Amino acid sequence: MSGDRPRDDALVGRRGVGTGTGTGTDSAGPAPHHDVLVRAVGVARTFGKGRAAVVAVHGVSGEIRAGARLALTGPSGSGKSTLLHLLAGLDEPTVGTITWPALGERHQLRPGPVAMVFQGSSLLPPLDVAENVALPLLLAGGSPPDADAAARRALDRLGLADLAAKLPEELSGGQAQRVAVARALAGRPRLILADEPTGQLDHRTAAVVVDALLETADALGAALVVATHDPRVADRLAARWSMTDGRLVVPDGSLSCSA
Amino acid sequence: MFGLTWLSALARRRRGPLAATAAGVAVAVALLASIGTFVSSSKATMTRRAVAGVAVDWQVEAQNGSDPAAVLDTVRAFPGVRTALPVGFAATTGLEATTGGTTQTTGPGFVLGLPDSYRTAFPGELRDLAGAGTGVLLAQQTAANLHAAPGDTVTVGRAGLPPVSLRVDGVVELPEADSLFQKVGAPAGAQPQAPPDNVLLVPEARWHELFDPLAAPRPDLVHTQIHTALVRTLPGDPAAAYAAISGRARNLEVRLAGAGLVGDNLAATLAAARSDALYAQVLFVFLGLPGAVLAGLLTASVAAAGAGRRRREQALLRARGAATGRLVRLGLLEAGAVGVAGAVAGLALAVAVGRLAFGTAGFGATPLAAAGWAGGAALVGLAIAMATVAWPAVRDARTVTVVAGRQQVGRARAPRWARAGLDLWLLGASALVFWLTSRGGYQLVLAPEGVPSISVSYWAFAGPAFLWAGAGLMAWRIADLAVHRGRRLLAAVIRPVAGPLSGTVAASLARQRRILSRAVVLVGLTASFAASTATFNATYRHQAEVDARLSNGADVTVTESPGTVVGPGAAAALARVPGVAAVEPVQHRFAYVGADLQDLYGVRPSTIVGATSLQDAYFAGGTARTLIGRLAAQPDAVLVSAETVKDFQLHPGDAITLRLQDGRTHAFRDVRFHYAGVAKEFPTAPKDSFLVANADYVARATGSDAVGAFLVDTGHASPAAVAQRVRAVVGTQATVADIVTSRRLVGSSLTAVDLAGLTRVELGFALLLAAAATGLVLALGLAERRRTFAIASALGATPRQLGGFVWAEAAVVTVGGLLAGTVGGWALSHMLVKVLTGVFDPPPAALSVPWGYLTVLAGVALVAAGAAAAGAVRATRRPAMALIRDL
Repeated sequence: MSGDRPRDDALVGRRGVGTGTGTGTDSAGPAPHHDVLVRAVGVARTFGKGRAAVVAVHGVSGEIRAGARLALTGPSGSGKSTLLHLLAGLDEPTVGTITWPALGERHQLRPGPVAMVFQGSSLLPPLDVAENVALPLLLAGGSPPDADAAARRALDRLGLADLAAKLPEELSGGQAQRVAVARALAGRPRLILADEPTGQLDHRTAAVVVDALLETADALGAALVVATHDPRVADRLAARWSMTDGRLVVPDGSLSCSA
Repeated sequence: MFGLTWLSALARRRRGPLAATAAGVAVAVALLASIGTFVSSSKATMTRRAVAGVAVDWQVEAQNGSDPAAVLDTVRAFPGVRTALPVGFAATTGLEATTGGTTQTTGPGFVLGLPDSYRTAFPGELRDLAGAGTGVLLAQQTAANLHAAPGDTVTVGRAGLPPVSLRVDGVVELPEADSLFQKVGAPAGAQPQAPPDNVLLVPEARWHELFDPLAAPRPDLVHTQIHTALVRTLPGDPAAAYAAISGRARNLEVRLAGAGLVGDNLAATLAAARSDALYAQVLFVFLGLPGAVLAGLLTASVAAAGAGRRRREQALLRARGAATGRLVRLGLLEAGAVGVAGAVAGLALAVAVGRLAFGTAGFGATPLAAAGWAGGAALVGLAIAMATVAWPAVRDARTVTVVAGRQQVGRARAPRWARAGLDLWLLGASALVFWLTSRGGYQLVLAPEGVPSISVSYWAFAGPAFLWAGAGLMAWRIADLAVHRGRRLLAAVIRPVAGPLSGTVAASLARQRRILSRAVVLVGLTASFAASTATFNATYRHQAEVDARLSNGADVTVTESPGTVVGPGAAAALARVPGVAAVEPVQHRFAYVGADLQDLYGVRPSTIVGATSLQDAYFAGGTARTLIGRLAAQPDAVLVSAETVKDFQLHPGDAITLRLQDGRTHAFRDVRFHYAGVAKEFPTAPKDSFLVANADYVARATGSDAVGAFLVDTGHASPAAVAQRVRAVVGTQATVADIVTSRRLVGSSLTAVDLAGLTRVELGFALLLAAAATGLVLALGLAERRRTFAIASALGATPRQLGGFVWAEAAVVTVGGLLAGTVGGWALSHMLVKVLTGVFDPPPAALSVPWGYLTVLAGVALVAAGAAAAGAVRATRRPAMALIRDL
C-alpha cells in the first residue's frame, strides 16, 4: 500500500458475540455518522437448512469508514466472499443487521456508492470494453453520451484506452480484471469491494491489478476492501482482518484501525 | 462401470436439459409414428371405402358359343367366390306403354333376367322407388319416359319375334348402372359405355321364357353374365389389393379358357384408390417430414444449449487423465440414453395421438407395417440423438480447445455456407425444379390404367424442400445482417422496452446475432411449416367441398328425367319444402357445335349464384362474376369450352351458330349466339366440352322452357334430410341427389383422400413445435445468459433494466421468426399447392387461408415467448447466489 494514501479515516472491527475470540471493545470510540460507510452488527449468514445447513459467516460486527484500506484475508472457504457480498448488499444476513449510514439504503448502493470487483471474469460477454465500463453509469440513469465519456476517461486513467473496442473474450485475464477495476472507477464509488481480484492471475499481473485498485481508490478517495488469501496483496493494504471458519479475527485484539 | 456412474450422475444433476433433449427426440418419433399410423390407416380406409361401394365384384360374361351353366359352375368353384348368380341380358327393340290415354314409345333398351336371390346377394345394385321390390321392375328413367307406374302394362319389343306385354310391379333405381352395363373385355383406356336409357328387369324364369327363343336366331342380342361376390379378405394397401384382385381375375379367365371374360369392378375401383393411396404417401412426405426435421433441429438447439456445460466437463475429465476414447464413449452413452428415452416416450405419445386422431393404437394396418413404422420412427429418434448429442460431444472431444469453447459471441466470420451463398443456390435450385415440374403438368403420381405398377415423381419434392431450406438460411442471413448493420434502428425499435439502455441492449443483441439468428430461423421454419401445412389443408378441404358441389351441382339437385317436360314454375313447389332456402332451374339441352354434340346449360345469370357457388376456377379469361355478368348483359351470349375455342378459332364477340332441338317440332334448328368466354367447369356439367347460355334466350329460340335440373340451396338445413323431403314431393319423376352422398361417391377423386386425421396430427404437432421453438429455445438461450444477468444484477441493474435485455431478445426472436415464417409460409403454400395440383379437382383459384388457425399459431408463439421471457425476468429478480459467488 503506498505511503501517501489518505489515512484520515478509520477501520473499526467488532468481534461478534460468541465468536470465541474474546469480547473486545471499540477502541476508536463511536465514529461520526457520515464517516461510517458500512456497519455490521452480529451478522451471520447460513446457507441451506437443517442438517445440510452451512454457516458461512458467524456473528460478525464491525464498521468500515471512509478512506479505509482493508485486506480481508483467510483461507478458501473461510467466509470472505460471503462477508463481502453482505457488505456490498448483494446478499442479506440470516441473523443481525448491516447498515450503510453514509451511503443510504441497500437498494441505493449499486450502481452508485458501492462498486464490486469480482474474482473471475465479470465483464458482460456481448458488450465491448467501453460498453462494459459504461454500463453501471447507464444503470444509474446516466445519459449514453455521458456514460461513454466517463467510461473512456476511466479506461484512459488505467491505460486501457486501446482496449475500448475489444470484446471480453479478446482480453487476457489481467486485462479483463483491469477493465473490471476501470468499471468500478467509472462510477466514482465511495466503497470498492474486491473479491479475490488476483485469484486467477500470475504475480506480475496481480501486482498490476492491485496497483490499479489502489490508484483508483486513491483517485476517488474511496474506501477499499480486498478479500484475498495472497499475503503479498494483503501486505499492500493498511489494515487486515482475518477470517477463519466464518469468524472474524482482529489482530492484537484491536477492533479499529484508523488512518 | 464409470459410464454408468456418469450416466447416473447426469440423470440426477442434469435432469432438466436431458429431459428437454429427450422430449425433442420424442416429438420427432411421435410425429413420424403418428404419420405412419395415418398413412397406414388411411390406406386401409381407402381400400375399405373403395370396395364398400362396389355392388358386384365381378361380372363374368359368358362368350358366344359357350355354355353359361358351365361358366357358372367354374366361377362357383373358383376359390374365394362367396356367391355367383347368372344374370340374363337381352336387347329389346323398344318399350311401349299406354297410360292416361296416351301411348309412349321408347327406343332400344335392355331386359335383364334376375334370379330370385339376386337382391339379397347384391343389395347395392337396385334401389326401390315405388311398388313391389320383386317381379317386373322398370328402371326409374324408363318409367319416366313411359309415364308408367306400378300396375301399368308395358309392351316389350323383341327382334324378329312378337312383342310381349308385362304388368309392372315396381319402379327401381339402378345406382350402379355404369358398371352394370359396362362392356366386358373392353381394352384398357377405352371410353366408358353410357348405360342404356330403357331398362326392364324381370324374374329369371320369365326372362328365359321371353328370350330363350331369341337366343338361337340372334345370339348377338342375348348373353349371360355371372355376377359374383367375393370373400373380401384384401390387403390394407389399395395397390396390393388391386394387384391381388386383378391377379385372381386373370387366373379365373385362364380357368375359363375363353368361355368367359371378367368385368373386374373391384379392381377398377381399387385402381382409382391406389393412386389416392400414393397421393396420401406423397402428402406424408410433403407435410410430415418437415415436422420431423424441425423436431430434429429443435433437439439440436436444446442439446447445443448444454454444449458449454459438456465442454467444461470434458475439460475437467481430460485434466484428470481421461483419454479421448473415454470422452467419446461418454458422449455416445449420453446420446444413447437420450435417444432410447425419447424413442420410448415418442412411441407412447404416438399411441395416444393415434387413439385420439385415428381411433387406433397401432402404427400400421398390419403387424409388419406397424413394426416397420414404429421401428423406423425409433431409429430416426436415435439418429437425431446421435447427431445432436453424440456428434458434438465427439467433435469437441477430438478437436475443440477450451479457449475456442469459451467463445460464445464475437466477430467470427460468416459461416462457410453464407460465404458460398448456399441460401441463394438453394432458392435458385428450388425455382429451377419448380419450373421443370410445372412443365410436366405437376404429374406426380403415374398410375396407368390396367398396369399393376404405379410410380411417384419424388423429384418434384425437391422444389419445396429447397425452398424451405433456402428460405431458412436466407432468414438467417437477413436476421444476421439486420441485427448487425441495423443496430441504430434496432435500438430505436426496442427503446419502448429497453429505455435508455436501448443502445447497450442493441449492441448486446448485435454481438449475439449468431445465436439470435439461429433462434429466428428455428421459429421462422416452424411458423412457415405450420402456416403452409394449415393453408394447404384448408385449401384441400375447400377444394374437396368444391369438387363435391361441382359434381352434385348444389346442396341438393333435382334432375328431371329425359323426355319429361317440367317448366321453371315447378321451382315454387320445391321452394315450399321445409329446409329449402333457394331453388334455381337450369335447362339441359344438347346442341351441335359443327358436328360435335355438346351439353348446353341454360341458366338465369341474375339468380344462379343464389342456389350454387361459382368459383373463379370454373372459368378462364375472367372471374366468375365477370363472365356471368357478360351473360346477363348480352342475351345471346354463350360460354364455351377451351377446346371449342381452340377447335373453332373463336374470339370474344364472334358469332357462333348452334343447332338446337325445337321443343315444338323436335327438329334441330340453327340458333345464333355470340361467344362471350370460356367455361371450364359448371355445376352438374360433364368434364368434357359443354356450353352455358341464357335460359330465357334458349327458351325463346327453342319454344320450350323445359328444365333439366333444379339446384336447391338448403342454407343451414341438412342436405340429406332436405333431399329426403324433396324425394317425397317429386316422386319417381326426377332423381334427387344431395351433396353429402355426393361427397362419399366422389370416391375416385383424389380429394377423397381423407386428410382429417393428418390435419389433426400435423396441425397439433405444428402448434407444439411452434410453442417449443419460441418458448423453449428462447428460455434455453436466456438461461444460458443467467451469468450475464447475474453480473448486471450485481452491478446494480434493476429488474426493469434486466427485463429490457430479456424482452428485447424475446421480441427480436419472436417478431423476426414470425415475419420470416409468414413470408416463407406464403411462398411455400403457393408452391405446395402448385406442385400438388394433381391432388386438387378442380385446381384452386386461390389459397384458402385458415386465419383462425394462423391466429392461434401466432398466439401460441407469442404466449410461449412471453412465458419464457417472463420466467427469465422472474429469475433475474432473484439472481442465484451461487452464480454471484462464482463471479
